[in-house]
Amino acid sequence: MSTPRPDQENPEIIGGQRVLGVVPGKPPGGDRKVLDEQEPVMVWPHLLVRHGVAALVVIVVVLLLAIFFDAPLREIANPTLTPNPEKAPWYFAALQELLALFHPLVAGVLVPGAIILGLAALPYMDRSPRIEPRFRKVAVATFTIFMVVWIILTIIGFAFRGPNWGWVWPWQEWYGEL
Amino acid sequence: MTLGQRIRESTIGRSIWRATDRATERDQAAGHWANFFLHIYPVKVRRKEITFRYSWYLGVASAVLFGSLIVSGIYLMFFYVPSPTQAYGDILNLQTQVAFGQYIRNVHRWSAHLMVLVVAAHMARVFYRGAYKSPREFNWGIGVVLLVLTLLLSFTGYLLPWDQLAYWAVTVGTEMASFVPLIGDTVKEMMLGGPVVASSTLLRFYVLHVAVLPVALVLLITIHLWRWRKDSMLDPAKEGVDVDA
Repeated sequence: MSTPRPDQENPEIIGGQRVLGVVPGKPPGGDRKVLDEQEPVMVWPHLLVRHGVAALVVIVVVLLLAIFFDAPLREIANPTLTPNPEKAPWYFAALQELLALFHPLVAGVLVPGAIILGLAALPYMDRSPRIEPRFRKVAVATFTIFMVVWIILTIIGFAFRGPNWGWVWPWQEWYGEL
Repeated sequence: MTLGQRIRESTIGRSIWRATDRATERDQAAGHWANFFLHIYPVKVRRKEITFRYSWYLGVASAVLFGSLIVSGIYLMFFYVPSPTQAYGDILNLQTQVAFGQYIRNVHRWSAHLMVLVVAAHMARVFYRGAYKSPREFNWGIGVVLLVLTLLLSFTGYLLPWDQLAYWAVTVGTEMASFVPLIGDTVKEMMLGGPVVASSTLLRFYVLHVAVLPVALVLLITIHLWRWRKDSMLDPAKEGVDVDA
């Protein structure tokens, strides 16, 4: 290994740059850059530290939920005793609600099929490269309406349906299951 | 010399780290690129992309929840046999006899529900940012498949406690498949391994839940992240991007 020159042995690093010389009248790190949001920054540490904090927050939320709420466990499965109401998991509650309103072929096949295909096809239908909201009114409105309807249907199916899929008020009777 | 540098420059340190000193940004970028764990990340991202407002960190939250599900799920596997005669008793035993059994089961359950929520929210955030647009159409498609896989994982896991909740939720859920014209009943019987939810269903859902679906999910997440890294500095609004970077 060759002996490094004395001035390279302990190089002075400022702002991630090795200082080779100082121009009189200028700060050693160079002129301060204007912070541009398009400017690339190093993932380590800038993004990874934030991801680390986000990960810790998620883990704390899960660990706290697990302390305060036990996972449900009902009686052992009994194929001869159908509970009333008979509820699907909450993320299928909107579909189950649709099943009560429309023909099963529509609610159980066409709607979920159209949602999956529509989501997958979205980038191929919306070919405009503009991402500013004012250029995306149709796309944003369509997606938002779909999302709001879906959330409402999910909440209705999850919390507002009781025996025989009849309407209940969740503060009077509770049939939601997680 | 700092302690970190001392460790890196010791004989053992030199055998672990492939370079002793990464002082300049250029060196650090090379180090990042060469690092086994960090290489799934881009070396640099635009400043706007590191903010909460940009992503709400929902992608990383999904990944963390999946990690929590793998860890807690492996623990649960030690105490569970997927048969109608044993499954329910195993859960009872887990909750009362096994160290931290109830707690780990809670972690698994709430992580699973949260993962469905967070993955859906991640998709919504990506939509509103317009981040599915060229050149990211394909990665959005992978994301749609990841959402479906997440739902299937949650649904197959729902049956495993073999209680009334599990049994009838899966009965209702698989009923939907039978509405598909012509092949509906065949599809349903393939899922259930028979006309109704029974022991073959439990075994099928278990194998899907602990082997097939997680492997598929890991593979697709890998492609999802790889593609994210490859496209990370591309901006449809700007011309002259280097696609081969």
